[in-house]
Amino acid sequence: MLQIIVQGLLLSGLYALIAMGFTLIFSVGRVLNLAYGAYLLIGGYIYFTVSQTLGVPKVLGLLLAAMVGCLVGLLKYRLLVKPLKGNHVAVEISTLILAVVVQAGVVFIYGDSSKILLPIVPGVTQVAGASVTYNLLAATIGSWAILFALYWFVRKTHVGRAMQAVSMDTKGAAISGVDPDRINMFTWGLSGMLGATAGVFFASYTQLSPSMWVAPLIIAVAVVIVGGIGSIIGTLIVAHIIGFMEVLAVAVIAPELRGVFTMLLIIGVLVIRPQGLFGREEL
Amino acid sequence: MAFLELDQLSAFYGKAQALHNVSLSVASGEIIAIVGANGAGKSTLLDSIMGLTRVTGQIRLEEKSLIGLSAAGIVRSGVGYAPERFNLFPYMTVRDNLLVGAYTARNNVSDNIAVVHKLFPRLQERANQETSTQSGGERQMVSLGRALMTSPRLLLVDEPTIGLAPKVCNEIAVALKRMRDELGATIVITEQNANFAMTLAERLYVLESGVVKAEGTVDELRNDERLTAAYFGH
Repeated sequence: MLQIIVQGLLLSGLYALIAMGFTLIFSVGRVLNLAYGAYLLIGGYIYFTVSQTLGVPKVLGLLLAAMVGCLVGLLKYRLLVKPLKGNHVAVEISTLILAVVVQAGVVFIYGDSSKILLPIVPGVTQVAGASVTYNLLAATIGSWAILFALYWFVRKTHVGRAMQAVSMDTKGAAISGVDPDRINMFTWGLSGMLGATAGVFFASYTQLSPSMWVAPLIIAVAVVIVGGIGSIIGTLIVAHIIGFMEVLAVAVIAPELRGVFTMLLIIGVLVIRPQGLFGREEL
Repeated sequence: MAFLELDQLSAFYGKAQALHNVSLSVASGEIIAIVGANGAGKSTLLDSIMGLTRVTGQIRLEEKSLIGLSAAGIVRSGVGYAPERFNLFPYMTVRDNLLVGAYTARNNVSDNIAVVHKLFPRLQERANQETSTQSGGERQMVSLGRALMTSPRLLLVDEPTIGLAPKVCNEIAVALKRMRDELGATIVITEQNANFAMTLAERLYVLESGVVKAEGTVDELRNDERLTAAYFGH
C-alpha cells in the first residue's frame, strides 16, 4: 500500500509537469495543441543525442532540450497557429499533422526502434519503506520545483498576471496595455520548454521511442478535460487523480490497463460534467 | 491645438459600417460626452479610438496619429479605457486586476494604486476579493481604477452609469471630476443618460446611427430638439 502511495505521488508530479505546458496553451490561447506530445519527443531525443551519445553534461543536455522545445513552440505559434488564428479546427488538425511529421522525422534520423534513456540520476533508494528509483525521485522533485516556480511566476509577476488576464478576457488585457499576441507567443515558448523538459524526465522513466508522444498527449488532454479550463492548481489535482489511478490499475488489476482508466475518466467527465471538475477560466 | 482629434472617422464590422465620417475634437483637460440611444455607435467610437475596430479616417492624440497602433500601443501613448462591459478578469482579485493595468506603467505602481484607493476607498477594503463576486458599481470602480493604473492622459469611459443605482452614479461622477481636476486627465464619456452627461461634461456630441447629428456646449444643447430626436426619433 505504501509503495502505491509513494509511486502515485511521484508519478503524479511528473504527470503534472507533462500537463502544465498543454494547460497553459489551452488556457491562454484557447488552442488544443495536439502537437504538444511532439515537444516531449523532441526533448527526449535532443537529450539522448547530446548527453547520452555525445557525452555533454546532463544538466546542459536538459537545458538544451528545453531551449529547443522553446524554439519549436515559438516557431509553431508564428508559422502555424497565428496564421490560422480563430480557426480552431484548422489549428487542431494542423498541430496533429505536425506531431505525425515530427514522429516521421525522428524515425528517419534515429530509426523506429525504442531506445533506453539512461537514468538522469541512477540508483534506488527507500522512501517510507518503499523502493523508489533516484531517477523518478529526481524527476518528481524537478517537476515540483518547476511547478512552484511557474505558480509564483504566474501569480506574482507582471507577465504572469498578463497571462492570466489574456486567459480570462483578451479585450480587457489589450485595453490594459497587454499585447495578447506577445503573451501568446511567450506562452507557446514556455509551453515548448516545459514539454521538452517533461519529455526528458518521461523518457528516462519509460523509454525513448518515436511514438512516445501519444501517451503524454492523452494525459495532458485528460487533465484539461477533467480539470476544466486550465488552472495550475486544478492541473496538480487532476494529475494526482490520474497518477494514482494508473498506479492502482497497474498494482491491483493489470499493467495492460494502465491508460484505460484515464480514457474512461475522460469519457465519464465529458458525459457527466462537460465543463470539467474545476470548470472556470483561470490560470 | 486639439488634445484629441477625430477626422472623418468611419468604422466597420466586416462589411457593415458602424460610424460614418465622425469628426470631433477635445481640448486638454476637457470632459466631453458622446450621447445617443442604444446602437448609435457610442461604444464603437471608443473601441475605434482604442484600435479595436477597422477604421478609415484619422485619430490624433496631441497631433500624433493613433491609426495602425495596437490597443497596447495606444495605452502606451497615454489612453486609458473603461469599457461598458468592464472586461475585468473575473477570477483575479481587485488588486491583481489593478496590477494588470500597471503592465505598461510599472514605475508608477504604488503612486497609481494610492490614487485609485483615494478615489475609490472601497477598492482598498476589498483588495483581495475576486471581481466575479462584486456588484456592478464596484466593478465599474475597478474598471476605472484599472484604466487609471495605465497613467492615462486621456480617459475613455463607456456608459459609466449603465445599470447602476443613483447613489453609485453620483460617486462615479464625483470620481470622474476629480480625475480631471486633480489628475489633469482629459475625459471622453459616452452616455445614454443625457441628464447625467450634462451634469458632468462641458460639451456634448449627439450621435445617431453612427453620424454626429449635433455638437455644442451643454447650455447650447440642453433644449435642442436634435438631442431629443437622437433618443426618440423624428
